[in-house]
Amino acid sequence: MCLLLGTLLQINWRSEAQPPVFTEYQVKALFLLNFTKYVDWPATAFGQADSPITIGVIGENHFGEDLKKAVEGKSVNGRKIVILPLESESDWSKCHILFISASEKKRLPEILAKVCALPILTVSETDQFIQQGGMINFTRKDGKVRLEVNLESARQAELGISSKLLSVADAVRRKP
Amino acid sequence: MKRGLLNIFFAVGLPACLLKTGTAMAGDAPTNSIQGSHELTLEQLVNIQVTSVSKKETDLNQSPAAISVITQEDIQRSGATSIPEALRLVPGLDVAQINSSEWAISARGFNSEFADKLLVLVDGRSVYDPAFGGVEWEMQDLVLEDLDRIEVIRGPGATLWGANAVNGVINITTKNARDTQGLLVSTSFGTVEKPATSIRYGGEFATNVFYRVYLQYANNDGFTDSSGNDTPDSKNILHGGARMDWEPDASDRLTLQGDYFQADLAGPALNPSLTPPYAANFYGENFKNGENVLGRWTHDFSASSQLTLQGYYDHEVSRDTETLDAEDIWDLDLQHRFALGDRQDIVWGAGFRYEMDQTHPSFALSFFPQDENNHIASAFVQDDLTVISDRLHLIFGSKFEQDADTGFEVQPSGRLLWTPAENQTFWGAVSRAVRTPSRTDTDVVFNQSVIPPSPPPGSPVPVLVSLRGDPTFHSEEIIAYELGYRWEPNPKLSFDLATFYNVYHDLSIYTAGTPYTVFAPVTYEVVPENASNGGAGNSYGAELSAQWRVTDDWKLMGSYSYLHLRLTPSDAYAGDSPQHQFQLHSYLNLTRTIELNASLYFVSALPDQQVPAYARFDLGVVWRPNKAWEFGVWGQNLFDDQHLEFGSYRTPVLTEIPRSFYGKVTWRF
Repeated sequence: MCLLLGTLLQINWRSEAQPPVFTEYQVKALFLLNFTKYVDWPATAFGQADSPITIGVIGENHFGEDLKKAVEGKSVNGRKIVILPLESESDWSKCHILFISASEKKRLPEILAKVCALPILTVSETDQFIQQGGMINFTRKDGKVRLEVNLESARQAELGISSKLLSVADAVRRKP
Repeated sequence: MKRGLLNIFFAVGLPACLLKTGTAMAGDAPTNSIQGSHELTLEQLVNIQVTSVSKKETDLNQSPAAISVITQEDIQRSGATSIPEALRLVPGLDVAQINSSEWAISARGFNSEFADKLLVLVDGRSVYDPAFGGVEWEMQDLVLEDLDRIEVIRGPGATLWGANAVNGVINITTKNARDTQGLLVSTSFGTVEKPATSIRYGGEFATNVFYRVYLQYANNDGFTDSSGNDTPDSKNILHGGARMDWEPDASDRLTLQGDYFQADLAGPALNPSLTPPYAANFYGENFKNGENVLGRWTHDFSASSQLTLQGYYDHEVSRDTETLDAEDIWDLDLQHRFALGDRQDIVWGAGFRYEMDQTHPSFALSFFPQDENNHIASAFVQDDLTVISDRLHLIFGSKFEQDADTGFEVQPSGRLLWTPAENQTFWGAVSRAVRTPSRTDTDVVFNQSVIPPSPPPGSPVPVLVSLRGDPTFHSEEIIAYELGYRWEPNPKLSFDLATFYNVYHDLSIYTAGTPYTVFAPVTYEVVPENASNGGAGNSYGAELSAQWRVTDDWKLMGSYSYLHLRLTPSDAYAGDSPQHQFQLHSYLNLTRTIELNASLYFVSALPDQQVPAYARFDLGVVWRPNKAWEFGVWGQNLFDDQHLEFGSYRTPVLTEIPRSFYGKVTWRF
C-alpha cells in the first residue's frame, strides 16, 4: 500500500520539519553571491566581456572558507565570481563588491570617501552605514540576517539595484 | 532498602557502580554545506534562523567515528515520548525498558539498569548519578520539542570526553533560546500515560538576549506482569527550568541555564533480612529532587579560533524508605580550538571537577566511609592533521586525568579519515579508554540476599551473601579497534557501516572469600563476595544503517546491528545485550498537512535475562492544520499485547511493556 501511495502522489512539497542550518557568515556569503545577480554594474566597470566580478573583504574576515565556497564555479552573465585578497588600499578599486567588516567601524567615513566615486557596491554590517552613504547594510533581527539599502548612493555610483532585491529589504533609502 | 543500586551479582561482577566522570563539553552542531545552497532565493535568505555554532564546519560524513544524530524530525516522526524512546533509533545502542520508569541503556554490550560504560551529557553537563551509578533516564526528560539534537558516538570517545566514555557518548543538546520563542503547550494522554503536559514560553529581554522557561509534568501508571496483573511501578515527575542566551557581539555567545526536578518513583526492591521471611519482595517509593545551574561562554577570536569556558553545579537528593543520599558536583571546563598553519586543527582543553557524596547506611547497603569528597583534574589535546588536502586526515590525541582517589590515567586515540571520492569515506581508529572506579567498586558493602536455613546439606543458620568493594580496585580498560565506511551512491541514498573489535581488561568481577560466622543479633554465616579486577573479555560487531529518500515526501531509514561478546572467567552476563537488532522506519507525508509514520523493531533474545526475542511495530498519524496546532495519534507495540524487554535482579516478578495508544495535542503561539 505504501509503495502505491509513493508513486501516486506527485506532490513536490518538502517537509518543513527540518529547516536549513546556517551560521551568520554563511548567510552573508550567500547574500554577497546574490548581489552579483541582482545588481547591475556599468560596462566601464569591466575590462572585457568576460572579466570576472570581484569581491573583496576589508577588515576582519569572519567568513572563513564560506565565501570562497559560495562563489566557486558560479557565474553571472558569463562572468565568473572571484574573491580578491586585499593587500593594500589600491586593491579596493579593483573590486566590484567591497564588504567592510564591523571591525572597521571607526574608519567607515574614510573608506567610503575613497570609493564613493567608483562603481563599487559597498556592503557592511555596522550601525549607521546607510546614513553614512553605504549602499547595503546587514542587520540582525530575530536571529535572522536582514538588509537595508541606500538606493541613492548606488545610483550615484552608476549601480542599478534590481527591484527584487529592494523588495526583500527592511528599509530602502531613496532620494533624500 | 535502597532501590537503585542493586544490580550486582556474585560470581561475576556486573559493574553497576558509582561513576566518576571526566570533563566534557557540549559538541558543535553540523551546519549545512554552503556549496549545495546557492539556489536559496533572497526571500529564503532573509528568513533563515542563523545558528551560533563553531565556524569550523563539522560535516557528519567527515567524522572518523561511528556517529549517529537523532534530529528533531526523527524524534517527532518516531513517536518517541521520552529520550530513551528516541535512543532506540540508534544502531548499536541496546535500549530496553524495564518498567514504567526504568530503562537499561548501553552501547555495544554490557547493558544493565546501571550501564556504566556510556557517558551521557545534557548541554555539556554529565548526567551520570555518581551515587548509584548509571543514568537515571526517567529524570532526563526535557521538553522534546526544544531538543536540538542527540548525537551518539559508539566506541570510546575518550579524547574529548573523558573517562567512562568507554563504549560510547550520548550528547543531548537543547535549542538556543532564540529558536524557542513564544508559547508552546503540549499535552499527551493515553492508555498508559496519564495526561502529561509541557508548557514553555520564550521571549526576548533586550536585543540579542533571549530566554525561555518551561514546566513539565508526567505521570505513568505501572505496566503488567506476564500474567497480565498490574505491577505497582509508577512515576510522577515534575520538571522545570529556564535558559538564557545572549550574543553581545558577533564573536561572543553566553548561555545560562538551570533546571529543577522533583520525582516520586515506585519500583521493585528486595529486602533481605536475617529473620524470617528472609527476603521480602516489595515495591518501595523513592523520592528524588535536584537542581542544576550551568553557564557557558564561547568567544571567536577568528574564523578558525574559538574558546569555550563552561561551569556547572549539580545537586541531587534521594530519599527512600530507608536511606538518604545527597550529591553535589562542581565542574569547570575550558576548551580551545584553533588552526595551526594550513594543515592542522588543534583542540585542547583542561577541566576540574569536585564531587561530594553523602550516604546513609542501611542493612542492605552501606558505603565506608559514609561520606566522601573527590576531585578530578583533566586535560586533553587533539590534532587534526591534513595529510592530503580533502583526501586524508590523521587525527590523534589523548586525554589525561588525575583523580584524587584513583590516580593518573592516559587515554590516547588515533584516527585516520580517507575520502577517496566525494561520496565515499573510510575511517579507522585505535583507542584506549578507561572506566575509573566508583564507590561501588571500592567502598560498598551490599548485603544482597539471605539464604534461609535448611536441612543438611544446607546450612542450619541463615547465610548472608555480601558483596564487598575493594579500595585497591583500579580502572577497567578497553582497547578498541574500529573501521567504518560511508557511501552515498546518489543524493537520495546513503549507507553507513561501522565495525569494531574491543578488548577489555581488568573488568570488575566478584569472587567468593572465606565464609565466617557472626553471633549477633542472631547466629548467621557470611559469604563475602569481593570485588576485583579479574575479568576480561572481547567483543566484535558491526552496525549498518541506510537512508533512502524515495520521493520528496517519503523517506525510509533502516539499520541492523550485530554484537558478539565473550567474557572471562565467566560468560554470565555477556547475554545482557541482544546479538541482533534490526529496525525499519517509514516517514511519509500523505498530504501537505498529514504525516504517516511507521516503525518496525526486532531485538533478539537476552539469554542471561530470560528475555525472548521480540518484534515491535509503532504507527502514528500527525495532522498539522496550521502553524499553531498539531494533533498526533500513536499506537505503540501493536503486534503484541505486551512483551518483556529486560529482566531484573531485584524481583522475580518481571514487568512487561504493554501495547499502548496515545494522543498528543500541541499548541504554539
